[in-house]
Amino acid sequence: MANIAIDSIKERTFDAIVIGSGASGGWAAKEFAEKGLKTLVLERGRDVKHIQDYPTTNLYPYELEHRGEMTYEDKQVNPIANRCYAYGEDTAHFFVKDDEHPYIQDKEFDWIRGYQVGGKSLLWARQTQRWSDHDFEGPARDGFAVDWPIRYRDIAPWYSYVERFVGIAGNSDGLATLPDGEFLPAYPLNAVEDHFRRSVDRHFSGRHIISARCAHLSQPQPVHLQQGRVQCQNRLLCRRGCPFGGYFSSNSSTLPWALKTGNLTLRPFSVVHSILYDQESGKATGVRVIDANTGGELEFYAKVIFVNASALNTNLILLNSTSGRFPDGLGNDSGLLGKYVAFHNYTAQITAQYDGLLQYRTDGRNPAGGGYIPNFRNVHRQETGFLRGWAAAVGAGRYERRSRDGVGHELKDGLLHATLGNWGIHSHMMAETIPKASNRVWLDAQKRDQWGVPLLHISVDYAEDDWQRRQDYYEQMTAMYEAAGFTNIRTKDTPRRPGNDVHEMGGVRMGHDPKTSLLNSWNQLHLCRNVYVTDGACMTSTATQNPTLTYMAFTARAVDHAVRELKRGDL
Amino acid sequence: MKFYMNRRSAVRTLLYIAGGSLMLPCCMRESGRASIALTNLSVSEADEQLLAELVEALIPATDTPGGRELLLHLFVLRMVDDCHGPAEQQVFTDGLAAFSGWSQKELGRPFAEAAPDKRTALLRRIGESGGTDIRQFFAVTKSRTIQGYLNSQYVMTNLIKYELVPGRYDGYAPADRPPAHG
Repeated sequence: MANIAIDSIKERTFDAIVIGSGASGGWAAKEFAEKGLKTLVLERGRDVKHIQDYPTTNLYPYELEHRGEMTYEDKQVNPIANRCYAYGEDTAHFFVKDDEHPYIQDKEFDWIRGYQVGGKSLLWARQTQRWSDHDFEGPARDGFAVDWPIRYRDIAPWYSYVERFVGIAGNSDGLATLPDGEFLPAYPLNAVEDHFRRSVDRHFSGRHIISARCAHLSQPQPVHLQQGRVQCQNRLLCRRGCPFGGYFSSNSSTLPWALKTGNLTLRPFSVVHSILYDQESGKATGVRVIDANTGGELEFYAKVIFVNASALNTNLILLNSTSGRFPDGLGNDSGLLGKYVAFHNYTAQITAQYDGLLQYRTDGRNPAGGGYIPNFRNVHRQETGFLRGWAAAVGAGRYERRSRDGVGHELKDGLLHATLGNWGIHSHMMAETIPKASNRVWLDAQKRDQWGVPLLHISVDYAEDDWQRRQDYYEQMTAMYEAAGFTNIRTKDTPRRPGNDVHEMGGVRMGHDPKTSLLNSWNQLHLCRNVYVTDGACMTSTATQNPTLTYMAFTARAVDHAVRELKRGDL
Repeated sequence: MKFYMNRRSAVRTLLYIAGGSLMLPCCMRESGRASIALTNLSVSEADEQLLAELVEALIPATDTPGGRELLLHLFVLRMVDDCHGPAEQQVFTDGLAAFSGWSQKELGRPFAEAAPDKRTALLRRIGESGGTDIRQFFAVTKSRTIQGYLNSQYVMTNLIKYELVPGRYDGYAPADRPPAHG
């Protein structure tokens, strides 16, 4: 009997455990497995195998029973998921339904989740921009949150490392606020986006419109072909899963790469309950898992644990990892665990039209979506009444107008004979928000979910300065639109709840000091150094960039650190 | 004729693939019920046939198929049954019944038996029908018919071609080049 028990423990013992298989978890898996460590990836949802588990990927619009629309019943049952722009008849199977994992909204919060192998890397918007020192130095300069314990030079080589493998389309634009990377050819701006770019260059110093940088293979390199990925085919059906591997997901890229090493064990249906802590050694020893199929509890053990469960679930797991030493959650002597959660403010759009350049139209589809305006506010000095700033996406297109007037032959003719409209321009805001102690998550003292894990309270809200940033976006974009000769300029508030941006961050922030932060400069818990957090939970501030690229770079850097520490016997 | 039948059967097959549960062509039914399984709407075979005539009046067959052949009436029913709430469904079925009565009164015969030009003339006067139910029923039916038409396999493969795999993007394409769609 003793031998069986020992064998069983052996089978459940690995060098490294990674909690979560999304963009950052996938990177942890790849890096550990490549470096020869026996690695266990725990995924709470089902398996999704590249291509074979993309059931809608090749469907034509008329093959979707409701042409992509969600049913009335689904909208009643899943209002949270339905408010996400990416949720539809062709993608709903990759989203968590509202009752699948309940949480408590102390303030309205749309928690958008993808519980499956690959997580939300199947669903992401694929926009990838580097942070600059303007972003890393922000909290220290402007006196909010805490100082980031790293600077751009610390992460720059890891951005490069990740970008080469992921494949990022972009131009070298030479902007200090948005450092260049290892780029595949960019998707060029179209005629009116280009016109807008030239106009802004001419009329506004320090402002730039660049081709949006995105994780699409515009020109695959050998390392991408080795992953089994080929050139992006401009389908823009990405969120169904891409049979070409044209965009980066864990499913198409890091996970199969890790599996090929023979060092990866991928265990779906594994809901992590908590991290096990051994007071004597001062280390985490493993994780407690609830098998989602059987409801049974089991433990896995490893020398190092990476928490990549998605920002708020990472908070949840750490808060639930209590012990005699850490009664308030693992590494949480400071009481800051779960606090200073932040997000991106996406609640503004501005549209216009342009009556020139009618000799051009677009043909095909642009995976990058158009142009990107890096933040130009408060870069060199504080110049507005609010801190930090905003970035903007901008795209232009000509739409075919089809008359829907009348009935009979008039209607049929109208529908079949399109006229090309003038150019329309669209932009949306991506604004930084300032982390606050009052924006926080915590565990309910009594209520448990179906796996026996406490329910998460979420209390996160906008603040007055968010609306000041939005007003500035409207004013500056209007001025830039007018200078470009755009007309019919309309601003539009989009009343999205926090969380609906799907960029929730923080709660386990990085910093120099265990008294004011949870993680050190290598993403290790200050107080339990063999636990690393490299997903959105680690973020000290939010900047304006889409965050996934930064999580991936943090992850590769942290694994490199962990393996060096293990070799030295320091973990 | 053979081509016609093949195309027709292809459309029905497609509808089936798309998840509709089409059981039998209208003329072979004796149940008096609609030919697709509906969860919420109470629609008779006669209602369905009236709706088929209405979608045909909206989008008539020419040298290309019309609404009836493309089974747009079944698409309208599918969407109203699944994607509209109870209040809108009630307005739809009330409006359908009211439309049946109003059109019979105005045309002096059932809508289905009136000549095509009489039907279109009547539909142009829908605003004068008096009932808000009729107008709302008609607005939903027209909107869903247009959606079903533009997103039908026939239109997307023959008339306004949908590209699943464009494989290109050109931001400076000449505006006078025939459009590619997506």
